[in-house]
Amino acid sequence: MVDTIAEDVQAVPERYDGPILEIENLSISFFTRLREIPAVMDFSCTVMPGEAMGLVGESGCGKSTVALGVMQDLGVNGRIVGGTIKFKGRDLNKMSAEELRDLRGSEIAMIYQEPMASLNPAMKIGKQLMEVPMIHEGKSEKEAYQLALDVVTDVRLPDPERMLKSYPHQLSGGQQQRIVIAMALMSKPSLLILDEPTTALDVTVEAGIVDLVKGLGEKYGTSMLFISHNLGLVLETCDRLCVMYSGEAVETGSIEDVFDKMQHPYTQALFRSIPLPGADKNARPLIAIPGNFPLPHERPEGCNFGPRCDYFEAGRCDVGSIRMEKVPGNDRHASRCVKFKEIDWMAEPELAATTEKAPIGDVVLKIDNLKKYYEVAANALFGGGDKKVVKANETLSFEARESETLAIVGESGCGKSTLAKVLMGLETATDGTIVMGNQEIQNTAIEDRETKTVSSIQMVFQNPFDTLNPSMTVGRQIIRALEVFKIGSSDADRRNRMLELLDLVKLPRAFADRMPRQLSGGQKQRVGIARAFAGDARIVVADEPVSALDVSVQAAVTDLLMEIQRREKTTLLFISHDLSIVRYLSDRVMVMYLGHVVELGSTEQVFSPPYHPYTEALLSAVPIADTSIEKKHIVLDGDIPSAMNPPSGCPFQTRCRWKSDVPGGLCEKDVPPMRTLATGHEIKCHLAEDILARMEPVIKIAAE
Amino acid sequence: MEPLTWSGSFGAFLNPLMLAAVVAFVILFLTNVVMTFAGMRSGDFEVNADGTLVYQRTPMDMVLTGMKYAVLLFVLCCIGYIIGGLTLPTIEQKGILGAMAQRLLPVWIALVVTFALSITFKRRLGLYGKLFDSPIGMAGFGLVMFWIFAAIFSGVFPLVPTHGAIDLISQMRNELPGTPLPNPDDGEYPYYLLGGDNLGRDVFSRVFFGAADVLKITPVATLFAFMVGITLGLPAGYFGGKLDTILTFIANLALAFPVILLFFLLVTPEIVAAGVPQYMSMILFLFPILFFVVLFNSRFHTDPTRRNILVGAAIAIGGVLYLSLISNPSDPDLPLLFRLWPEPFDLFDIAGNLLIVFVSVVFVNSPTVFRIVRGITLDVKTRDYVAAAQTRGEGPWYIMLWEILPNARGPLIVDFCLRIGYTTILLGTLGFFGLGVSPESPDWGSTINEGRRLLTIYPHPALPPALALMSLVLGLNLLADGLREESLKD
Repeated sequence: MVDTIAEDVQAVPERYDGPILEIENLSISFFTRLREIPAVMDFSCTVMPGEAMGLVGESGCGKSTVALGVMQDLGVNGRIVGGTIKFKGRDLNKMSAEELRDLRGSEIAMIYQEPMASLNPAMKIGKQLMEVPMIHEGKSEKEAYQLALDVVTDVRLPDPERMLKSYPHQLSGGQQQRIVIAMALMSKPSLLILDEPTTALDVTVEAGIVDLVKGLGEKYGTSMLFISHNLGLVLETCDRLCVMYSGEAVETGSIEDVFDKMQHPYTQALFRSIPLPGADKNARPLIAIPGNFPLPHERPEGCNFGPRCDYFEAGRCDVGSIRMEKVPGNDRHASRCVKFKEIDWMAEPELAATTEKAPIGDVVLKIDNLKKYYEVAANALFGGGDKKVVKANETLSFEARESETLAIVGESGCGKSTLAKVLMGLETATDGTIVMGNQEIQNTAIEDRETKTVSSIQMVFQNPFDTLNPSMTVGRQIIRALEVFKIGSSDADRRNRMLELLDLVKLPRAFADRMPRQLSGGQKQRVGIARAFAGDARIVVADEPVSALDVSVQAAVTDLLMEIQRREKTTLLFISHDLSIVRYLSDRVMVMYLGHVVELGSTEQVFSPPYHPYTEALLSAVPIADTSIEKKHIVLDGDIPSAMNPPSGCPFQTRCRWKSDVPGGLCEKDVPPMRTLATGHEIKCHLAEDILARMEPVIKIAAE
Repeated sequence: MEPLTWSGSFGAFLNPLMLAAVVAFVILFLTNVVMTFAGMRSGDFEVNADGTLVYQRTPMDMVLTGMKYAVLLFVLCCIGYIIGGLTLPTIEQKGILGAMAQRLLPVWIALVVTFALSITFKRRLGLYGKLFDSPIGMAGFGLVMFWIFAAIFSGVFPLVPTHGAIDLISQMRNELPGTPLPNPDDGEYPYYLLGGDNLGRDVFSRVFFGAADVLKITPVATLFAFMVGITLGLPAGYFGGKLDTILTFIANLALAFPVILLFFLLVTPEIVAAGVPQYMSMILFLFPILFFVVLFNSRFHTDPTRRNILVGAAIAIGGVLYLSLISNPSDPDLPLLFRLWPEPFDLFDIAGNLLIVFVSVVFVNSPTVFRIVRGITLDVKTRDYVAAAQTRGEGPWYIMLWEILPNARGPLIVDFCLRIGYTTILLGTLGFFGLGVSPESPDWGSTINEGRRLLTIYPHPALPPALALMSLVLGLNLLADGLREESLKD
């Protein structure tokens, strides 16, 4: 017995023990006709075998460029202008194209954000997977197939043989991303680079992928470079992290050190601007980072973060180049700040002006038993054949009051966008009533609504790059809304009102004559808000208004929305999948799943047990960037069922972990009724009272 | 008088130089090919330790540089001929090339002024200014502007042509380029620079009169095709459903219809007598008016006074133009419907053949434009700003014309340039089949067709219009390429 073990050890080839990836003083620039644009400057990091390194920063900070630099794939105008990238001790910069080709996909694998774009749509999954060992290791087709089958099983996909026979478009987004991960793992790489691998996915699906990546890292011993803008996600997946700002690494260290004993003002500001449990819109509002991210060619002298920093000191922070300096006492912890030894990092932040909770007024919007069904012809060309009914909204009933924020939470396909469309009048309801003020509007399409009705319910959209017409000036777009809402008697009048609206959203008046492309994402979103409030809207439907913005801008836009709401007594319907922000700003929460409202209640009621099983899973899935939080680990199996073909009985029964606690297969037979648990807290579930009462909180703040 | 030589007195040293440039280019090009096969590559930027860039030269780079200089030399020789034409005192010394360059003096001045102004202010001119960052775009723009200025200085101010478009001198029939006139009157240009055609007309002058003809018709005809395509494509893409199915089907039918057959049908006497081209133009020309009325109404319906003024103006101006265009009370052959509009208000008449050209250009091009617009609309209508317009209660036409169309302009401008090129060729094709504007029209297609009969013996009447057509279409294509390239780089 002893002998065989010894043999095994010998059979293992000589292993490389040094760092897998060693980046030293890396600088990468892109060259355009006008100038050189430095994208990454003086970046160093080391990834040890089996270690997961997180790379965190806002968009444009250069984190993806580092990944591309490691892959030596910078395109025609990108060049490494300094420093070295060593992979297992070999300098990647000095390798020939052939050597690099050999390395990519076999020793270093990369997983991108958009899974559909990483898979060849014209090739079956199996063939794409088998290619990897056949090209890199010269394996036979049979061996490759076997390996593909094993890896697909490893990434926990159901029915691996069928998976290998299907084309990418036949799989859901989550399944596609699992296949991409499988492909990366086919050759058992030493280094896996993940570039925002879950950003395009839903929260519960994301949780599954994160869980998988973590497990695989442990199983295969792969080192990982995990690029993300989400601090919570990095906390869950990585051992160490590196915070980047404007092309530079500003702080690097182990997760515990950086999260709890941060040594750079940017890291601190970042943590203060994200809604962690405990933040409250009235008592402890978020602290937004002032100013904007500098453009690559407009970086300030000295510290890049200087102009936005609370601790800025002229004469020290704005001269020369600032180097990364070791934090004494901690394990490989470094900060790029000249003052980090002087700052009292434990000091409580100065609170931004706290406000009183605005009193909640009368009911402005009452929705009763609302249904929206779509008929989809099976045969589109001739309209014949079976008609399928898609039940986008099923018996929705809720109320919204003046100055209240009602959050609507759910993943894609839950029917929240359909609800918004029906409210706005872009679609008419199939059944039920919507009462706004004292008018029934469920059957009035937008062209038949009175101007007053149209202007009093408006929308803020998700994508800042899409929300403004790129070929019209900002002012013109707001004035157009005023014209349509018949506000103001003359052009001059409307122009004045438009300038006032720009003041309201805290944009300089000069922006009126700018084109949208000259504005940053956050500024565009502010214009979108100004446009929504042009007609004194009483109800504003905000469809994920901040989810596409960078963390540091999110806080400012969120606070702006809250401030306007307080002043105008607007009812805010806040659609989101981000439970952190929902907990921070909403008064009541409505959780939707496959067209049904599964839970409705005040924020405290929804965020504490008893939960609906789906809410419980959702809470567990959302990554929280706080090391003192303990979360119960619940990962949902599978994907959200298609609304074309919903499961029988309870919509959530296919993924519910409590299903076995309901006797008699009731979950598969009947849609549960809406039950009132406490005043204003309703849930749609068959679970008995005593089981609900036994539920434990998902998020626990560890005793300090 | 002796016939002119091609290159005049400058030719003695410019010709060998030009030949040398061509030979050098060919040799270097072949070397380049051989070296590529031998695995040599051009150099690359290397980064020094201090952050500066160094370009590593290889033999390949030297060959490429050599090729560049050969092209430069060739261009310099061409400029030499132009300068010679402008400076040398007598026509004999200028030669044919020099004399042509001299006749084109206003065109050169206009081109230099345009380029100088545009390059000086290119940073302030938006996409047009960016065109001057791309050599391809500049070359294309230069070619197109050359022909536009040539058309202006032939059609509006006849400074370039030496003789009239239909002046004929029977002794000059099929005479070679540079032949002197037998007995020139005072003030008459004493040579046929590019020879005479088979009726004894000046080929040089006809090419430039032809340019005026071509550039008068093609952009306008293409614009009409775009109006029709846009007005139908927008609703097809925006509303979708049955409307889309029907319109797309009709567009497919039009695309599948054999174009040549359509042309022959349109000129068949019976069909012309029945007024089919007139009825077709009656429908087609209605689209621009419709377009502008809807455009103004959708935008200004919130401000009724301004709306009424603009829509009224559009209907009044468009209406008069429309009625003048389609009716011709003095033509007794036309159906009564087209003779109702009173003579005094009839601003202009369009020759029957020209109407056919318009109708066929619109018929051939609008289905393709329709498809492009429909495709872009399908994409743009999913944007949030369209949803924002819907949720504030804008009408569908406002959304189509003011929210979607301006954002579709990029691909449409590029396609417009290309399509003018196609239309120019189409006009040539029509002329070639004898279906062109009018029998003695100097437009390029008809001229090529006439020259075709004696092409083997006398190629000189047919070649210049063919080269002109080629260079204009090439210019338009390069311009479109440049625009596309530059609009992508933002």
